[in-house]
Amino acid sequence: MNKLTKILARILEIDERKINNQTSPQNTPTWDSYNALLMVSEIEDAFGKNFTMTEVMKVKNVGDIKKVLRRHGVKI
Amino acid sequence: MKKSLKIAVLSSFTLLGLPRTLKETANKLGIEPEIYLGQYDQYTQEIFNKNSGLHRFRPDLIFLFLDTRSILNEIFFSPYEIDDSERRRVVSEILKRLDELVSRAANTGAKIVIHNFEVPDHSPLGILENKQSFGLVEMVERLNSDLRDNYRSSNQVFVFDYNAFVSRLGKKEIGDPKMYYLGDTRIAVKHLPALAGEYLAYAKPLLALSKKCVVLDLDNTLWGGVLGEEGMGGIKLGPTPEGRPFWEFQKHLSALAKRGVILAINSKNNLAEVEEVFAKHPHMVLKKDDFLARRINWQDKILNMKELAEELNLGLDSLVFFDDDPTNRELVKNFLPTVRVIDLPADPVFYPGILVSVIKEFNVLQLTEEDKKRGLMYLAEKKRRSLKTSTADLRSFLDSLNLKLKVLSADELTIPRIAQLTQKTNQFNLTTRRLTEETVRQMVQARDYLVKAFQIEDVFGDYGITGVLIVKKSDQDWLVEDFLLSCRILGKEIEFAVMAYLINQARRVKVKNIFGRFIPTGKNDPAKNFYKQAGFVEAERKKNGEIDYVLSLPHKNYPKPEFIKIINEYE
Repeated sequence: MNKLTKILARILEIDERKINNQTSPQNTPTWDSYNALLMVSEIEDAFGKNFTMTEVMKVKNVGDIKKVLRRHGVKI
Repeated sequence: MKKSLKIAVLSSFTLLGLPRTLKETANKLGIEPEIYLGQYDQYTQEIFNKNSGLHRFRPDLIFLFLDTRSILNEIFFSPYEIDDSERRRVVSEILKRLDELVSRAANTGAKIVIHNFEVPDHSPLGILENKQSFGLVEMVERLNSDLRDNYRSSNQVFVFDYNAFVSRLGKKEIGDPKMYYLGDTRIAVKHLPALAGEYLAYAKPLLALSKKCVVLDLDNTLWGGVLGEEGMGGIKLGPTPEGRPFWEFQKHLSALAKRGVILAINSKNNLAEVEEVFAKHPHMVLKKDDFLARRINWQDKILNMKELAEELNLGLDSLVFFDDDPTNRELVKNFLPTVRVIDLPADPVFYPGILVSVIKEFNVLQLTEEDKKRGLMYLAEKKRRSLKTSTADLRSFLDSLNLKLKVLSADELTIPRIAQLTQKTNQFNLTTRRLTEETVRQMVQARDYLVKAFQIEDVFGDYGITGVLIVKKSDQDWLVEDFLLSCRILGKEIEFAVMAYLINQARRVKVKNIFGRFIPTGKNDPAKNFYKQAGFVEAERKKNGEIDYVLSLPHKNYPKPEFIKIINEYE
């Protein structure tokens, strides 16, 4: 959990405490297409997983990221 | 002092993460760049619109990174839906457009670096691709060769061989398919540091950061083996499995010298023996005069390095240093941090490859006649000035090595090595008596001999048994018959620690005098002044050059090097 929050906070340049399942591009101006790509690349590296493009495209908020990670066997 | 530079990068796709990587890579080289990344796929507008971000940024260096897919568009996928004359027309139009872009960009005054194009390694036609008249592969090859021709004589525009770069990393590996479709990237994030390294090869000469001189060690660097031990016939150099890596290493160095890179020598060796190799060794590619400055002596390498820089009129930051010995490398890294020290791999088979990869350190944006003649210019300016050695600094470095001297008794395990060392060691060898195992064994059994071997360790590892001391004992007087150290461990003051050990042993049994003898051989110069430095007094000088010394005990103020820990295993 912590690992993910740290990555997101760093890329999105927001306080870790402000990140919750509802954090999304709609309520986070720094979540642009460029940072979205960075997030995919860094989360894949940090957890040693590879997501399919469909999985990536389905993500609408932080809660969705966790769902994908759980599906890949990450306890989060 | 960091040097600043404005670098702009324009591309036809997303270069995710490049600015950060470029900045980090540059910082490591002491460059503090400002970086401007053009708007996504807006390179044409950036260049043509005088109010664009690019123009306002006022770059020193512009990289134009367009790729094969975006430049060929649909033709990349279906090159054979048009005929060959159409394909030729497409290529010449692309070249024309590129030239407009480049000349407009050049109006900013910046240096321009344009990527050439990745040549596809596949074709819809498979094995029949090269049966086509002006097929897909040939189109891209033509683009690349015409680009090269167009800017061959320009001092402002440079073509970066991206196709070679991608080939080196692997055309299959270069991209990340998911990121390509998600975000229109071409190059995977993990390859960005390599690309940044290539970019900075253009930045360094602009900032006069290019290296100018290769400083070389000799033993196990220019040839295999230790000249002082193995002699000219014994060193490895030439067309044999062991000699070829060194031989080819010299050939690469020779090519560098011909393009204006200066070569110099910094080596602990006997000058006369090295001169002989230069004069007589049949496979010595580099000749004495290829080295504009030479320090072949027994003084420390830091001092030598400073003198070389002084003599060549170069800053220390223009030097690249090759030495197989990690201690020497660490010494230079510590005391002369601006010298670029190459970490030579332990196995010489990798030497030529390392050198090829170092070539970009010597990049210049223009090769002038002066470069080619630099050798002569420097020769004319050559002058030697004396420099003060930094003894105090050297001491603190030796301190940091954590040196350990293990005293080993002569037994069945160590006797073969003791005999071997007496056979091989030439340089730090006081008497150079060649002993057989049997002789050593007899001395050990005779009981009136002290026979010890020394094993040296430091932070870089274990040097093994590299020293021998044989002393003939009587009640009042001890005579050092043999004392030698392998050249691998010279310069660490081990010899004084060994003597401290011996004095300590002698004092315990109330010995009155320790006698020593130096027998000159022409090869043992490094040992010549040892007894004098160790506080012995000259007793007799013979006609043949032999000198007998004596030290009267108790000698309380013997300078034992405090940074060497003596470990006596049998006490």
